[in-house]
Amino acid sequence: MTVLGLALRYLRGRLVTTALTALSIALGVALVLASVLLTRGVEKTFMESATEYSLVVGAKGSPTQLVLSVVFRMDTPTPNILRATWERLASDERVDVAVPVALGDAYQGFRYVATSPAYFAAMPWRQRSFAIARGRFAREDSIEQPSYEVVLGAETARRTGLQLGDRFFEGEEMAEYPLTVVGILRSTGTADDRAVFLTLPSFWGMNEVARKMQMKPLTAVLVRAKRMSDLPALHRQLNLSQETQAVFPSGVLLGIFNLLGLAEEVLALVLAIVASVVVLYLFVSMYSAMRERRREIATMRALGARRATILGLVLLESCLIALVGGGAGLVLGHGIAYGGARLLASRAGMVADPFAVGLLQPAVLACVVIVGALAGLLPALSAYRVDVEENLAPLS
Amino acid sequence: MRHSPESLTAAAVLALALLSLPLASRADDPPRLTFAQLVDSMRANFDVTQQIKAYAGREVEIQGFIVPAGPPDLSFFLLSRVSALGNYCCEIPTGQDETVYVYAAKGLKLVYDPLRVYRVRGVFEAGKDVDRTYGVSMFRIRGARVEEAVGARIFKVGETPTPPTKP
Repeated sequence: MTVLGLALRYLRGRLVTTALTALSIALGVALVLASVLLTRGVEKTFMESATEYSLVVGAKGSPTQLVLSVVFRMDTPTPNILRATWERLASDERVDVAVPVALGDAYQGFRYVATSPAYFAAMPWRQRSFAIARGRFAREDSIEQPSYEVVLGAETARRTGLQLGDRFFEGEEMAEYPLTVVGILRSTGTADDRAVFLTLPSFWGMNEVARKMQMKPLTAVLVRAKRMSDLPALHRQLNLSQETQAVFPSGVLLGIFNLLGLAEEVLALVLAIVASVVVLYLFVSMYSAMRERRREIATMRALGARRATILGLVLLESCLIALVGGGAGLVLGHGIAYGGARLLASRAGMVADPFAVGLLQPAVLACVVIVGALAGLLPALSAYRVDVEENLAPLS
Repeated sequence: MRHSPESLTAAAVLALALLSLPLASRADDPPRLTFAQLVDSMRANFDVTQQIKAYAGREVEIQGFIVPAGPPDLSFFLLSRVSALGNYCCEIPTGQDETVYVYAAKGLKLVYDPLRVYRVRGVFEAGKDVDRTYGVSMFRIRGARVEEAVGARIFKVGETPTPPTKP
C-alpha cells in the first residue's frame, strides 16, 4: 500500500474528526475569501461609479452627503440651491461643462433624477457613455409645457417591470402628473442604473413648491473645468460663497476609503485570529490522532517502515485535510460572497463580482496547504521519534 | 558620574557618524523646486525660463497640497501651493503657475489628507502640454512617488528655500 493510500485510510478511520477539522478550515477560508471579494466589490463600485466631473457644487452642508446623494444616490439629498448658481457656472469662462441635477423622491425606491441633456452627452474626457437600449431620450421641453417623459436606468426597468409607453406615478399628489416611459438605458454598472431620469421642466412641473417658485431649485451642479489648474481657485471661490459648497468627489471617496481601510484592518485582525484558531484546531487534531496511534506507528516501524516514511505519512494526512478543507472553503466562500453581493446590490446598488477568479484562489489554497503542513509538522516529528520498544510493550 | 576621555571620544565619533547618515542621504536627493520658482519661471505665450527648462526630464521634488481633481485612485492629481480645504487661512490660488499636474507611479498607496503637505518626486516636465483628459498644463511630474512631508514649509512668491538649488 502506498503512503497516500495509507494516509487516506487513516483519515477515513477517524472520519468524524477529519470531517470536523476540514469543516473548520473550510469555514475559515470561506470567511477570508468572501471578505476579500466583497471588499473589492465595494471599492470597485465606488471607483467605477465615481463621476468624471471635477467638482460637485451644492448647498452648504456635508460634502459626503452631497457626493453620496448626487453621484451614488445613497443618501438624502442636500438642501436646494438656486438655478442661478448653475447659470453663473455655465457662463463662467473657466468652466467647460456645468450640468444641473435635481434629486426628487423615488418610484419604488428608484430615485427621480432631473437633469439636462448634457448629462448624457459624449465628451472627449468621458470614459463612460450613455446609450439607449430601447426607445429614446426624453425630448427637450419648457417650463410652460413639461413633457413628463422619463428614461429608466437598466436596473430600474428590470426591477419595476415598467415598459416603454407605461404611465406611472407614486403617491396621491402625483396622480395629476403621471410620467411616461419613453426610453430605457443600457446598463452602465453605476448608480445611474437605479435612476428614473426626467427633464428639469417636468421635475419642476410635478412639484407643487417648485411650480410656484420664480427661481427654480436644483440639488447640485456637476462641473468640469476647461483647465484642471483653474479648479483650486474655482473650488475656493465657491466655498467662500455663503450659499454653496464645492466638493472634489474623489476627495470624498478617498475619505471613505480611509475609513474602509480602518475597517479592513480590523477585519484582517479578526481573520488572522480565526486563521490561528483553525491552525490550532488542526494541530490539536493531528497531535491527538498521532498520540492514539503510537502503538500502530511502533508496529509499522517494527515491520520495517522507515522514520522518514512515518514523518511523511503524518504530514501528508495534515496536508490532505488542509487541501480538502481549503477546496471546500473556496466553494463556500464564493457562495457566501454571492449572498453578500445580492444583499449589497439590493440595499445599496453596489455590484460585487462574487465569482471573480484570479490569483487569489490558488494563492489561498497554497497558503492553506503550507499552513496545514506546518500544523502537522510537530505531530509528524513526534511520530518520527516514537520509540518502538517502549510502545510495543504490553499495556498491562 | 565621570566619563573617561576615551569613552567621550567614542561617543562623539558615534554621534558624528549618526549625524552624517541623513546628510549622506540628502546628497542623493533630487533637487527641490518650489512654487515660487515655478511662478517666477512663467513667461508670455505659455513659455517658461531656460532655468526651469533645465530641470525637464530630470527627477525633482516638489512639496505641496494634493487637490484630488482626477480619479479616486490618485493616478492623477494636482499639486497646489494651497490646500483644497484651506478656506480660512490662505489666499485664493491663482492658476496654472501654482499648480503641478502629477501622474502617479503605478500602484501608488497613499492616505489622502487635504490638510497635509506631501513630498512628490518624479520626472519633471515644463512648458505647455495638452492632455486629452485633463487639458492644458504648464508643469507636470510623471511616474511620481508621494510621501507625507512632515513639517514642510511651502514657499510663496518672493521666497526661496536655502540653500538655493541649482540645475
